[in-house]
Amino acid sequence: MTDTQPTDPTRDGHRPIVIANDLQRRYGDGTAAVDALAGVSLSFDRGRFNAIMGPSGSGKSTLMHLLAGLDRPTSGTVVLDGIELGHLDDAELTQLRRDKIGFIFQFFNLLPTLDAEENIVLPLSIAGREADREWLHRLIETVDLSDRLTHRPAELSGGQQQRVAVARALISRPAVVFADEPTGNLDSVASEEILLTLRQAVDEFGQTVVMVTHDAHAASFADRIVVLRDGRVAHDGPCGSEDQILELVKEVG
Amino acid sequence: MRKVILRGLAARKRRAFTLVVAVFLGVALTSGAYVLTDTINASFEDIFDESFAGTDVVVTPREVIEQDDQEPPPFPASLLNRVARVDGVAKAEGSIFSLGKIVDANGDPIGSEFAPNFISSASTEPFNTLTYEEGRPPETDDQAALDPTTAERGNLEIGDRVGVVGNRRLQTFEVAGIASLGDTDFGGAAVVTLTLREAQRITGKQGEFDQISVDAADGVEPDVLAQRLAAALPNTVEVRTGVEEAEQETESTKEDLSFLTIALLVFAGVAVVVGGFLIFNTFSITIAQRIREFGMLRTIGASRRQILGSVIGEALAIGIIGSVLGLAGGLAFAPAINALFESFEIDLPNTGTVLATRTVIVSLCVGILVTLISALSPALRATRVTPMAALLEGELPEGHRRGRIVSALGVLLVVLGIALVCIGLFGGIESSGSAAGLMGAGAAATLFGVAIFSPALVRPLASVAGLPMERLRRLTGKLARANAIRKPGRTAATAAALMIGLALVSFVTVFAAGISKSIDDAVDTLFAGDIIVQNQDGFSPIPAGVAREVADVEGVDRVTTIGYSSAKVAGISGDQRVSGIDPATVDGLVDFEVEAGAAPDQLGRNDAVIDQAFGDSEEAGIGDTLDTLTPTGKRVPYTVVGEVKDNADFLGSFIVTNQALRDDFGYDQAGTVVAGVAPGADFAATENRVKELVDRRFPIAEAQDTEELKQTQREQLNGLLSLIYALLALAVIVSIFGIVNTLALSIHERTRELGLLRAIGMSRRQVRQMVRYEAVITALIGAILGSILGIVFSILISRPLADEGFELSFPVGSLLILLVLAALAGVLAAIGPARRASRLDVLESLAYE
Repeated sequence: MTDTQPTDPTRDGHRPIVIANDLQRRYGDGTAAVDALAGVSLSFDRGRFNAIMGPSGSGKSTLMHLLAGLDRPTSGTVVLDGIELGHLDDAELTQLRRDKIGFIFQFFNLLPTLDAEENIVLPLSIAGREADREWLHRLIETVDLSDRLTHRPAELSGGQQQRVAVARALISRPAVVFADEPTGNLDSVASEEILLTLRQAVDEFGQTVVMVTHDAHAASFADRIVVLRDGRVAHDGPCGSEDQILELVKEVG
Repeated sequence: MRKVILRGLAARKRRAFTLVVAVFLGVALTSGAYVLTDTINASFEDIFDESFAGTDVVVTPREVIEQDDQEPPPFPASLLNRVARVDGVAKAEGSIFSLGKIVDANGDPIGSEFAPNFISSASTEPFNTLTYEEGRPPETDDQAALDPTTAERGNLEIGDRVGVVGNRRLQTFEVAGIASLGDTDFGGAAVVTLTLREAQRITGKQGEFDQISVDAADGVEPDVLAQRLAAALPNTVEVRTGVEEAEQETESTKEDLSFLTIALLVFAGVAVVVGGFLIFNTFSITIAQRIREFGMLRTIGASRRQILGSVIGEALAIGIIGSVLGLAGGLAFAPAINALFESFEIDLPNTGTVLATRTVIVSLCVGILVTLISALSPALRATRVTPMAALLEGELPEGHRRGRIVSALGVLLVVLGIALVCIGLFGGIESSGSAAGLMGAGAAATLFGVAIFSPALVRPLASVAGLPMERLRRLTGKLARANAIRKPGRTAATAAALMIGLALVSFVTVFAAGISKSIDDAVDTLFAGDIIVQNQDGFSPIPAGVAREVADVEGVDRVTTIGYSSAKVAGISGDQRVSGIDPATVDGLVDFEVEAGAAPDQLGRNDAVIDQAFGDSEEAGIGDTLDTLTPTGKRVPYTVVGEVKDNADFLGSFIVTNQALRDDFGYDQAGTVVAGVAPGADFAATENRVKELVDRRFPIAEAQDTEELKQTQREQLNGLLSLIYALLALAVIVSIFGIVNTLALSIHERTRELGLLRAIGMSRRQVRQMVRYEAVITALIGAILGSILGIVFSILISRPLADEGFELSFPVGSLLILLVLAALAGVLAAIGPARRASRLDVLESLAYE
């Protein structure tokens, strides 16, 4: 379990946990080339809830994929928990994702063959590790799934499925949780639950969360708002009320 | 719509390819079976046409009893004079054509052990059919001519010496000529030609002929002459024109070979059925995956008929391509099967490939029809897709309601199948052909039934099969098992294909083990402590003189001879195998299990001892008379004086004296010579002396102790078993393709899941492992079901044989090896799909719908 604990001195204090330096991502080449990201430099502090916003095509999903090591930048670097991702091969990236990153997707992406508890501990199972029972119980209580643990995803509501996904993202105490439109497929009640849970993870567990969303209400749960436009950072500042965010997006978007 | 079909096929190339391969393999084996046997038949036709080219009329012994392993007894040479006196005969000549063994001057074998060797007498014109490539016909009794293949194999040239064993000691001859039969070789047989006198002497047929060839005088039609001859000669001989004789010989060879055609077609049938499973399964899965596409087509106005047409069209295209390729493949396959036989030392003649119209029609029909039938049910399901399906998320649920009815149907089929097998076995059906047919149909019905019912078994079997993987690798093993039982119907159909092949493999394995054990037991009981001399091929006769010479070997104190022949018994259908023993010497060498009445050593000249199993089935017992028709055409009554238990049916239906066998059956050779070692003599040294004697003087024969004899029997059985395995391997290969297809399609469906697993940290290796385990579980489900069925079949089918001492033994080791091999087949099948699954791009997979 030791390798999920902060062993790197850079993780302590207010040092950023994720640093992006002049990230560029170009798709295609020649005249058909599209710059999804045209030079983005950002750093995310430990224990904070960040929202990345922007209209469709602004590059927010691309940014998240690059930060999470799912995609490689055309140029620029990403350093996650002191590790420069550009230096890692596929196997090392896989291990990094396993040990240091948690994911929450829009379409819950649970394994239909496993029950809720098995889905939650899946990242640990992949690593061949046992779950810390106490931590698991705490997470299960946090996402309020105590009575649903033996249910298969097909037997759970959308909100419950996404709560399983949140618990799964948190189980390995990753350095960062990336959430890609986590409420995009949920009704407002379920959305509220998910966002409160994420907020709770940041406040109580000191979890770092980077959430991509285009929903101003969702973004209003964050500490910091980054707005992207045409592959560049158009705004970066502390979070305000939902109305202020709407205004902000309208302004820069 | 045609464009949609072709584009669809092109878009799913890999799938289409595996389907074409499945059809191809089955059809290729079908057409290969026909091509091979047609070719062999045509070759024999050539050989016989050549053999009787210069002969107008042929006189041969009448074959009263058809004996597989023996020639009909010759007739007296005095008949030649009677033939010559018949009006219209220009010339008549007696000849010898008899089984023997050709060896080199040291007595070592030349070429294949199993190719038949013949001793023939040189003919004069116009009867001579040999073309001398080198040298000339034998002129003195010390000279011989050889066929070119044997000369080549033995590296023999004119002037060298060659050894020949007939019904005498080994004798060497000077090679005077090398001669071929017209354009053909001798059909894999080795032939040595000697002077008539020497041929008669060495085969023990002095004063006898196997055949008289007749040349008609000018202006006399062969068939007219044949009628005159038939009228003038006793009815112990057969008179035919040369043309008729050639036809007759061809026909009888064809009949002998028909078992080969049938056997090969059975294996082809298995491959075709397995291919059908694969096609059915692949179509079912692809159609389930294309529900939205069909919905879209329906939305834009395609009729149900058009949807049906598009799927059937796809099947038709695959069927046609696979069948045409298969037909062509058969032409290549035939030589391959021939090569397979050759590798098992079975030489068959092969001159010019024959592609009959029947082959073309049957092959194409089988391939295309099987493909269409297999695709029909999935195609009908496609027509039930509503336009709404285009708008719905994901695929439509598979028909669960039909599940129970289908399962019931499966159980019904199994019951029906087993009933058919039982009727075939115990129903007292006279014709063994229709009994075998019933049993075959029953077995097929059972297999289909289990295949249909097996989805219900997938879950428990997957738990069993997946256990080692789950123990070994908790997560990937568990996920693999969970994936395998997700669509039980799909996994079951995939496994069923393998099940069919493995049911047959395990059936023959268990059955062969039983035969092996029964033979071992019988050898141990009958011949304990003896030295046994018999023909190297295990069944043909050996010279009678072997017994006399073995008796003189130092350390041997007793020798007895067993002879084998066949007869018909009045009131009993079929030919009966008959053994002859020597009552004076048999005691203490052959240990019969006497059940009732007199022991064989008390047999009188006209007495018989019956096998208990024969007595039970034919209701014959002590005191009854067996009214026997022997191969010489004689009718002889034998009185039953005792009953023995003859495990493994070594001795046939009944036992008479050797004297009766000689006088009544015309049998003057030996089948098995049994020698006992004197008390106090060194067994091993004595055995070696006997072996040396046999090798030197009678290289046609082989001396063995009981352990060696059992070993030889096992080897022969294993040879046959390997041949069957090789032919069944094809069906297994097809079913491996089935696993490949199912896996590939399932992985395609689970793209997003795989993307997720990779995103949250599953390594490529783990993904590969997961897919591989799923394949192994699927394969093991098939293997477990198959072995169980195979064992059940062998238990059922061996029931009636139990009376004859057939004892089932379960070769646990072999069966476990089968399971391991099946698991390996799964690993093999998973290679491609696992690689593709592990190489999926994480981001693309996550975005995949």
